[in-house]
Amino acid sequence: MKELKFLFAVWKANLLSVMEYRASFLTQVIGMMANNFIYFAIWIIFFDRFKDVRGWGINDMYVTFGVLASSFGLVSLLFGNAFNLSDIIAKGRLDYYLSMPHPVLLHTVASRMIASGMGDFTYGFVSYALSGQFTWDGLLRFVLATLLAAVVFAAFLILIQSLAFWLGMMSNFSALALNAMLTFGIYPITLFDNYAKLILFTIIPAALMGAIPAEFITKFTWQSLTGLLAGAAAFLFIAVTVFRLGLKRYESGSGIQIEV
Amino acid sequence: MTTRTKDGWLAYNPAMNSIKKYWAIFQITLINSLAYPGELIGRSLMIIPFMWIFYQLWKVTFAASGSDVIGGLTLRDTLWYLMLAETIELGRPPLARTISENVKDGSIAYILNKPYDFLLYQFSTAMGETIFRAVMNAAFGGAVVWWLVGAPAHPEGFLVAIPAILGAWTLHFCVNAMIGLSAFAFEDVSSFTWIYQKFAFILGGLLIPLDFYPHWLQVIAKALPFSSMVYGPARLFVTPGPTMFINVMTMQVVWIVVLGLLLTLAYRRGITQLTVNGG
Repeated sequence: MKELKFLFAVWKANLLSVMEYRASFLTQVIGMMANNFIYFAIWIIFFDRFKDVRGWGINDMYVTFGVLASSFGLVSLLFGNAFNLSDIIAKGRLDYYLSMPHPVLLHTVASRMIASGMGDFTYGFVSYALSGQFTWDGLLRFVLATLLAAVVFAAFLILIQSLAFWLGMMSNFSALALNAMLTFGIYPITLFDNYAKLILFTIIPAALMGAIPAEFITKFTWQSLTGLLAGAAAFLFIAVTVFRLGLKRYESGSGIQIEV
Repeated sequence: MTTRTKDGWLAYNPAMNSIKKYWAIFQITLINSLAYPGELIGRSLMIIPFMWIFYQLWKVTFAASGSDVIGGLTLRDTLWYLMLAETIELGRPPLARTISENVKDGSIAYILNKPYDFLLYQFSTAMGETIFRAVMNAAFGGAVVWWLVGAPAHPEGFLVAIPAILGAWTLHFCVNAMIGLSAFAFEDVSSFTWIYQKFAFILGGLLIPLDFYPHWLQVIAKALPFSSMVYGPARLFVTPGPTMFINVMTMQVVWIVVLGLLLTLAYRRGITQLTVNGG
């Protein structure tokens, strides 16, 4: 409960900070929504011409893109530093968070809000509404699936970026992993054979951020819900464990830091 | 700079001097881009998952269509087309962001008082940063595509496409520089960059060749500059020919002139609004 109160206080401060430049905030939110809409037009063109990919149609794409965009947006908004955790570690900028009486990982990743995430988060709901599969109970499942997919995504980012404790600067590798996660997450899962699917559930858990949440939203099964819950819990556990193990190896930086 | 005339006198040649200056800037940036080979390679690895997933998508799509040729392209042509399109896109440096940061943090003032033109300086550095990035992307992307679908049907197409690839980067430069300069008027230009990038994806044919689009959209897309930035060079690479070459290069020259003029006007207008404080 104490951590939750602390988190809300950090998020409130972040929100006030990004809202300080209202025009910039609004430009980023509207710009990101337009960006997602234009990007999705590619899939509209594709499915208009080729109809479906092994049973996967445009309506499935709307839901998959929607849940992926919303979960990406949620992590950008609430845990923006998860995207550059490796830089923080490698440059010795964890010192600031270590000196505070708060959980180090939670404080670090929650200390930044990416304004454009609001555009992604909102667009996801619009995409679901346009999918032709909208129902009110489906909307509740969309919210739950977005939360669980966001946990998987945040855990994946923390896990990959925590490798900086061992590897040092690794921004290229982080960017590669992030791009792989988003690219594989948005493409129809029916494209992949069993070996590829194994990778998409484990090493790059893109299926847990795109296809499985989408399946749970469109047709509820206990199997998909259990799979999502188990995947989110497992990845979160691994990510926190790896971060804690890495923290024991952390070497303090000597640079002067100012956190605004 | 001086050049020797036919009667042996040395003459001052400002045009040659100017070219040498920007060529030197280009060379310095080119060499700088090799300073961190690990980063260069790491950045270029991004093309590998892209090409692999494109192969999965188009293999299934071609099989489902029941035809070996769609829109005049085979599966092999499509993959090599996408490889070159991705190489052009991934090779580009984030120029709009660099220029907008120059404008916002005032560092533009340090460039403006140097004896070179701001836009030509940016063009020289952008091209210097692009070359090795593109070469590495082409090497990794080409290796993956070769392994998946075999050699390109027309390997000579790569040489034919080189002028069009340079033209595509010049067009990208014009648009990105204009977006960067819009920082004179807007606080944040990132949303313009995203939207421009997505238009280049769709109307340029980055993820789907324009030949697969409905006819009406093909007509619109091919008339816009985006197609000269991606589709033209990539299509020229897979189906090279004199007519295609002339068409692609003509479109590029027209758009380079139009966008170059617009960029010059935008720069002149922006610079009149510049106020630099402090030192």
